Amino acid sequence: MNEGLVVLVRSIISFFTLLIFAKLLGKQQISQLTFFDYVLGITIGSIAAELTADLSSRAWPHWVGLLSWATLGYLMELITMKWRYAAKYIEGETTIVIMNGKIMENALRKMKYRVSDIMALLRNKDVFDLNEVDFAIIEPNGQLSVLKKAEYAPLTPKDMNITKKSSGISTELIYDGILIEENLKQLNKDKKWLMNQLKAQGIKDVSEVFLATLNPSGSFYVDKYKDKIKKITDIGDYKGPY
Amino acid sequence: MRKFFVITIPILTIALFILTMLSDKVLKNSLSYDDNIPLSIEAIIIEIENDNWAEARDKTDLLSKAWDKVVKRVQFSAEKDEINEFYKNIARLRGAILAKDKSNALIELNEAYEHWENLGK
Repeated sequence: MNEGLVVLVRSIISFFTLLIFAKLLGKQQISQLTFFDYVLGITIGSIAAELTADLSSRAWPHWVGLLSWATLGYLMELITMKWRYAAKYIEGETTIVIMNGKIMENALRKMKYRVSDIMALLRNKDVFDLNEVDFAIIEPNGQLSVLKKAEYAPLTPKDMNITKKSSGISTELIYDGILIEENLKQLNKDKKWLMNQLKAQGIKDVSEVFLATLNPSGSFYVDKYKDKIKKITDIGDYKGPY
Repeated sequence: MRKFFVITIPILTIALFILTMLSDKVLKNSLSYDDNIPLSIEAIIIEIENDNWAEARDKTDLLSKAWDKVVKRVQFSAEKDEINEFYKNIARLRGAILAKDKSNALIELNEAYEHWENLGK
């Protein structure tokens, strides 16, 4: 028995099975995961690891375990999507911990959160003074959402009665020295226009550019391979190996 | 084309994996003239019962070669312990044949057969 070869084949099986199942299970971001999703991910990963390296048992039972967990996870997703009552039970619900500037002690006790935890979460949201908070809500994924009191809310163009155009999303025109013509067409521009823009920045050829982007409002960004920065700022706070 | 990538390829991949993982049930059986495990075991049992120890030793060598061939095919789906136990049975069988110990030789052969039976279960 060639153990190395067997582990290699089993790795391929578990890797691609995991990839396919993960695609089926959806696209939730890590930050959106509830505690249960997190545990589900760890368990599926650990079964995949056993499938790869545990040669003392057949690959099949591990694979069935993987399939069962992925299927149950998928069913849970379906149930929570279609049935809100079940979603509240399975995923939990939002809890208000600060209401009208007052801390809800009972809610904190129920959630097993200490005031220091809430203070830390508030600081993560750039809130250092409790007086600024109108509402604070703990989401099912454990993150804190904060609504500041009106007097502490940041000033917006709307408050000043200023109209601003939407800047839109930047699109890559050149990436790694290669022109992306599809994106250029999408923004109703041509190669001539792009070359003029590049010339204005002292660039003769597309191959000199690492990245060039354009957004619908007309803001053009270029980064060359040669940055010509003589003194690079070092933000390291301790001398390391590099 | 998109459907082919999104649906057909994953389904074919999963099907191939399942076939690989369950292949030991089929691949443990004889595919050529010199890799029939049950027949080899039976032949050795007959030689031992007739006290033909030299033939039993020769046929044990053949059984060992046959097992090597089968292992190459089933290693991706079978469990390692079952495979190794069979090797141990062969080693102990060689000892029993050297000592002309009929009862131990038969015990090892029967256990080896059980291990072969358990492949794919």
